[in-house]
Amino acid sequence: MKDVMGLIVTGENDIHLGELTSQRAVAALPIAGRYRVIDFQLSSMVHTGIKNVGIITQKNYSSLMDHVGSGREWDLHGKQGMVILPPFLTRENMGVYSGLLDALKSNTSFLSRSKQEYVVLTNSHTIYNIDFTEALRAHVANKADITVLYSRNKASGVDGDDTYYTVDENNKVIGMEIGALAPKGDAASLKIYITKRELLRQLTEQGAANGLHDFERDILQKNINEGTLEVYGYEYDGIAWQIDSIQSYFNFNMALLDSNFRHNLFPSERPIYTKVRDDMPARYIGDSECDNSLIANGCHIEGTVINSILFRGVKIARGAVVKNSIVMQDAQIQEGAEIDHCILDKQSVIRRNGRLIAPAAYPIVIAKNVVI
Amino acid sequence: MRKKKCVAMLLAGGQGSRLGILTKKVAKPAVPFGGKFRIIDFPLSNCTNSSIDVVGVLTQYRPLELNSYIGSGSPWDLDLSNGGVFVLPPYQTGKTGEWYKGTANAIYQNIPFIEQWDPDYVLVLSGDHIYKMDYNAMLRAHIDKGADLTIAVREVPWEDASRFGILNTDENDRIIEFEEKPAKPKSNKASMGVYIFTWSKMRKYLELDEADPKSDNDFGKNIIPEMLNANEKLFTYTFEGYWKDVGTIESLWESNMDLLTLPMPIDLSDKRWRIYARNPGMPPHHIDKGAKVYNSLITEGCEVKGIVHHSVLFAGVTVDVGAEVTDAVVMPGAIIERGAVVRRAIVAENAVIKAGAIVGEETGNIAVVGPGATIASGETVAAGVQIDADAQ
Repeated sequence: MKDVMGLIVTGENDIHLGELTSQRAVAALPIAGRYRVIDFQLSSMVHTGIKNVGIITQKNYSSLMDHVGSGREWDLHGKQGMVILPPFLTRENMGVYSGLLDALKSNTSFLSRSKQEYVVLTNSHTIYNIDFTEALRAHVANKADITVLYSRNKASGVDGDDTYYTVDENNKVIGMEIGALAPKGDAASLKIYITKRELLRQLTEQGAANGLHDFERDILQKNINEGTLEVYGYEYDGIAWQIDSIQSYFNFNMALLDSNFRHNLFPSERPIYTKVRDDMPARYIGDSECDNSLIANGCHIEGTVINSILFRGVKIARGAVVKNSIVMQDAQIQEGAEIDHCILDKQSVIRRNGRLIAPAAYPIVIAKNVVI
Repeated sequence: MRKKKCVAMLLAGGQGSRLGILTKKVAKPAVPFGGKFRIIDFPLSNCTNSSIDVVGVLTQYRPLELNSYIGSGSPWDLDLSNGGVFVLPPYQTGKTGEWYKGTANAIYQNIPFIEQWDPDYVLVLSGDHIYKMDYNAMLRAHIDKGADLTIAVREVPWEDASRFGILNTDENDRIIEFEEKPAKPKSNKASMGVYIFTWSKMRKYLELDEADPKSDNDFGKNIIPEMLNANEKLFTYTFEGYWKDVGTIESLWESNMDLLTLPMPIDLSDKRWRIYARNPGMPPHHIDKGAKVYNSLITEGCEVKGIVHHSVLFAGVTVDVGAEVTDAVVMPGAIIERGAVVRRAIVAENAVIKAGAIVGEETGNIAVVGPGATIASGETVAAGVQIDADAQ
């Protein structure tokens, strides 16, 4: 797959993720015990054989840059490798893009100077593990202008934020609905697109020249309705989970406690790469108890952990009880403290005998570095 | 290449035959240790943490796995433009060219490598010890004393001293005598096999040694005694802290078990002195409903459904329902099936213990299931027995 490049557009609307994304882009949100959301998109590209990946960033991108570094963990530190495309502040561009088209417009020079014929364009808030090779083959075989990836079992996002396609028996897209409350189509958009690099550049520049911002409405939907572009669908039947609210974040992590779900997302032939931290293995000490939980390296467990996900370097002291919770890296639960249905951000601390019990329908988020 | 003050040469060519089946196909430094490491991670990480950034790794026996493990050296930050880690196998030179005849000869054959860096000092390490050591502090002591050779020692219990190479010193730590395994030790300072030479002196004695056809070309047997005879300045440098030779099955098992005592005798969670390792990139481990884990180290990628007690599980190990693992070291990718029992044992990489099989006994020597070996359902492996996949 030498002839394909990747483009990851970050900076989705993250209002429903609340405190979790107040200091970081969704792409940099810690997830699944040791990863960040972008690891899934990056690793999928790498497993497809893509060597040239651009990451378009907007606000709050410092933790994302810190995470991806030189791209070494993904073997993207070569002569082509990975390029971070931060907002280039000009008189026309104030640093926050008003849509995908806008984001692409600011980076047409990256598209121009790349050499590959095709481009895989993806959002940065959907968790998946896809080898795009088959989709690229279908794109070429269909002589499509644009191929859109869709799923019939995607965990749906926040109300009104989903796009559905209607496809014919040849997988040609004949209808597209954006934000419909009762959509006719059942093919949920994964907001991943395959097209020729040159076509994407042209569409972007034409769109910008006409004052357009929205790739879905102004380019895709319009061209589908008018029949001016050949748009085909490609069904992906693996796991696809949009992380766009605290509840979807919580539910996705909890779904990983199921072995089948986990093995589907982490097949041994397509590992998800992430920044390495060089922690020792997790230590279980004394009367620790652990039931149905995912535990990363560097954890130190003396208390009780049930139905939970512990990121790297988490400390659970003696007599502490952690249930149905997500505890991010280096957080501490001190002696006798108890949490249930909580999401603890990095380095937060629950002091001795503290109790934080939330209802299942509304997990509490404790922000980074907060001590309670 | 720019000049370096000190370069390290890591002797990684020995077979390590006392590790039996575990080193049948890999060199000893590549043997897994402590849930996520290999033995060589310790000297390599010590170099990185001591700011020594040229490391030559001398390989000879079964080097393939070790070579691919070291790779570009990036896990240890040793993939540098000016420096880094270099795998140095023996090579042909015109009409000659030969295997490394001994530890000293291995360095002798790589004099051109060392000269590239124009170093003042050369640090000699071996790949079979578990320890965290600041080589830079030792180098400072070497320079302060104006030594020609400094040998790191640790003080062992007197009753054990006759098992080691013992250095007898004067009151200023100057070495006056070296005795290999003395029946009546006069000192309890045991050599750790860590040397710092002043390069000009080292080169001189390597060349003298090579010219002597009767020599074994060994540091302990030849180079050190020669330097003592010539009244060169040899000093000891006393190291305090955890140090373990993991050259035998029993000591490898014991050293893994040491990590389960509290406090850990060697702190592997110390962020100021991390031990780096190549990462297999697996998701966090899962402890299933009904599983039990006591006093153990468990690594990413494991799936635990049974009972794990006082054991070290490496990446990607499966312990199925009803299986019991006690006092065991289970290396990457091994599978312990339903109802199988493993105790006082080392289960090597990708071995499979089938349902209901029993490996090891509560007392006695350590049982070993070799890399890729399968223990059939209902079979038993007695204490001290080693199972070789090739013999199955």
